[in-house]
Amino acid sequence: MGEIRLENVSKSFGDFQAVNNVSLTIKDGELFSFLGPSGCGKTTILRMIAGFEVPSSGRIFIENQDITDIPPYKRQVNTIFQNYSLFPHMTIFENVAFGLRIKKIAEKEIQNQVFEMLRLVQMFDHKDKYPNQISGGQKQRIAIARALINKPKVLLLDEPVAALDLKLRQRMIIELMNIHDLVGITFIYVTHDQGEAMSVSDRMAIINKGQIVQTGLPDDIYERPNSIFSAYFIGDTNLIPGEVIGIEDDFIEVQTELEQDGERLVLDSSCHAKVDKGAKITLSLRPEKIAISRQKPDVKSDFNIIKGKIEDILYLGTHTQYIVRVGEYRFRVFNQHKRVYFDDMALDWEESVYLFWHDIDSYVIQEQDMSLNGGLNNSE
Amino acid sequence: MNNEQKHEKKKNIYSWILSLPAMSWLIFFFLIPYIIIFIYSFYQADIYDIKAILTLDAYKNVFSPEYFRSFFISFRLALITTFLCFLLGYPAAYLIARSSEKIKNTLLVLIIIPFWTNFIIRIFSWRIFLSPEGILNNALIYFNLIDTPLMLIRNDFAVILVMVYVYLPYMILPLYSNIEKMDFTLLDAAMDLGASPKKTFFKITLPLSKDGILAGSILVFIPALGAYIIPQLVGSQDSLYIGQIITYKIKNIPRNWPLASALSLMLLILISALMVLFYTLHIKFKERMIVKDEDEK
Amino acid sequence: MKNKNANIFTVTTFTFVIIFLYIPILLLIVYSFNDSKIISSWRGFTFKYYYLLLKNREIINAFKNTMIIGVLSTIASTVLGVLSALALENKRFFGTKFFKGLVFVPLIMPDILMGVSLALLFSFLKIRMGMFTVLIAHITFCVSYTIIVIQSRLEGFDYHLEEAAMDLGANKTQIFFKIKLPLMMPGIIAAALLAFTLSIDDFVITFFTSGRGFNTLPVYVEGAIRRGTITTINALSTLMIGLTLMFATITKRIRKYLIAV
Repeated sequence: MGEIRLENVSKSFGDFQAVNNVSLTIKDGELFSFLGPSGCGKTTILRMIAGFEVPSSGRIFIENQDITDIPPYKRQVNTIFQNYSLFPHMTIFENVAFGLRIKKIAEKEIQNQVFEMLRLVQMFDHKDKYPNQISGGQKQRIAIARALINKPKVLLLDEPVAALDLKLRQRMIIELMNIHDLVGITFIYVTHDQGEAMSVSDRMAIINKGQIVQTGLPDDIYERPNSIFSAYFIGDTNLIPGEVIGIEDDFIEVQTELEQDGERLVLDSSCHAKVDKGAKITLSLRPEKIAISRQKPDVKSDFNIIKGKIEDILYLGTHTQYIVRVGEYRFRVFNQHKRVYFDDMALDWEESVYLFWHDIDSYVIQEQDMSLNGGLNNSE
Repeated sequence: MNNEQKHEKKKNIYSWILSLPAMSWLIFFFLIPYIIIFIYSFYQADIYDIKAILTLDAYKNVFSPEYFRSFFISFRLALITTFLCFLLGYPAAYLIARSSEKIKNTLLVLIIIPFWTNFIIRIFSWRIFLSPEGILNNALIYFNLIDTPLMLIRNDFAVILVMVYVYLPYMILPLYSNIEKMDFTLLDAAMDLGASPKKTFFKITLPLSKDGILAGSILVFIPALGAYIIPQLVGSQDSLYIGQIITYKIKNIPRNWPLASALSLMLLILISALMVLFYTLHIKFKERMIVKDEDEK
Repeated sequence: MKNKNANIFTVTTFTFVIIFLYIPILLLIVYSFNDSKIISSWRGFTFKYYYLLLKNREIINAFKNTMIIGVLSTIASTVLGVLSALALENKRFFGTKFFKGLVFVPLIMPDILMGVSLALLFSFLKIRMGMFTVLIAHITFCVSYTIIVIQSRLEGFDYHLEEAAMDLGANKTQIFFKIKLPLMMPGIIAAALLAFTLSIDDFVITFFTSGRGFNTLPVYVEGAIRRGTITTINALSTLMIGLTLMFATITKRIRKYLIAV
């Protein structure tokens, strides 16, 4: 039904290449997200699907129909705008009825459908109010009602919760997911907030500088990033560059720049890709996968153990974040506060500690970027 | 009175003193003259001045068909002028409002420069352009489009043309200022919901610019009501507008200051009524556009 | 999506508007160099009328008067504007609403009403009409504009700056002259330029308050048009247009300079 296909879509504004040769298929009924930093081109892609921008090259298909040249008011696509764009001079009822009025549907039928839609989003009592009389969260629900009443094949959401505060944001995301389940059409969601994208999506694509960096299920991308950008953009991670010095089945030995007792550390890691000896790679190690303790842990050989000194402690309620210095590098470690973890006595600044993790918890990225030194390259 | 209140009072007195110069000036030279007009309207006319005799002659005259007609055509002129300024001015203002920053400034300057050249001179240049021996007629004859010169001057056509010419910037600027502040994503939203560009214009753009249209209309309509020099220089002398009549009665011999005063008062009342109307509409329009800034209700 | 149709329509209308606004002016300039008494026939390029202009004492006199009135009324109305804007900062002093209304109303009134009212006032007070009455009239209609301009600039004023100065030990007078006034300058200059422009351009109000002897340029030009002695008017008009453009460019330069500062 609402399958969307982008074929080699590019868009440039003058000299600036906003979208560069993007090809993608979004399945019918999916909740698909585009995630990326500001200016990466994700909004431009969305606008091209909506029809507000025309691709410089490439074609766009909905259900195999080429819609590239069709203007926005003739596409069966509707958009939820970032600031909702409710018409200030019309009542809530009129806003929601707008699309139906354009189609010249009979008055009685319009009323029926609008009432039903308002009840669906629980805004029926506000039908005679004006947009400036309702709150942000309510505005968003009306924006959704106004769009869905037209029974589009695809719903586009442009940073829909960006204008709301944290608690409300969390609620609205859940509401959006519920509506998606209820209505069943394809949703395309654009955001720069990776937490949002991961929680909401069936599948997602990471966009950087106009190109798709990685597409997949959220946990795929999180656990198995295909590039330094993906690893670094989603969540926090420790990036450890190194050279492959040994390969054995699905595991490799990596010689790193980390120094311990005068020697260069060698770490073990699982590796499902095909690498050659001598290859320059980067290990991505999520902070929550690292355990921290005062005493040397008594664990099997499939754990990597290193020593370091605590440089910073951030108490965050659910967990504590430690910055641990290992030679020239700083590791970020998340330690969740659960009694089951041994050695839960509060650690202090300047303490020497052991960091350890299972060798299947690190992921091999076949890329190296020496400018991201320190193993700590989480953006602010 | 506690310390804070004393301080407040001091500030208030201080401000009041600062306002005194301008306030007294305006009271003396703006308000009081209208009281004098009021008083004069009840005196008897004399060739040069007024006779110190109280009479209602002026008012008897004012309510005669002749002057009523003059008010009527002045009102009509203002209406037509405002409407034509709107037709020409709206697209122009819209274009400027939707242009990029750089172009915006250039376009605005282009509109404003003629505005800065002398008023009389601009009217004069139209006279030259439109007169039977003028450039337009000469060109038309030269290209064999007409045989005898067209009577383009000394009539209502010329008056309306020059009125629109002079008052156009007064319509464009407030319109521009209003449209510029519009949330253009609303237009995207309308198109997204199926409205063609034409429908979007009539259902969204135009209604949202109501306040701007109102502002532009006030700035054109009210001054246009009192038009004097334009009809004087390019209009026919057969039907006189109210501005012309008032001026004749003040300046030309035989004078009739009471009548002029009475007519001025009538004009003033008419304008006041219009201002009240405009203000009420303005308040109504502004209400809808205020955006609340809350996230939780 | 750009509305292609709307663009063609608005661009054409705009172009038409520009042509409409500029044609008479351009023609005037061209014909000021025309060596012919009859406007329509071109007889050769000449500066003749410009020479005649400069020799015409009446015109020079009218120009002088226009400038004097312009400068004086600008100074007076700007000063009044500054004082009033400062008064209106305090939103709640006695008579605020009245004052605001009083300032706003003259902006919309037709010139003719103001002209008539002042003419009758002066007659009532038995003041002879001439430069003095014209000056008073000009100040009266300029002051509303200067107040509005300066006051709206003052609206965005950051009062923390005053607080910072107080914190650093400055007294009220020092704060005013060292902080407030300099920051108000762009607004003051804008107001002054506006007042000057309005003053030198005014016809109707000056017409009613100048009596027989005193001429400003607009009044002179109107009289000349009425009398039919229009040969030098083209040249005069061109010069005035040139003056205005020069003025406009200077204004722009000053504003750019002030914004940079």
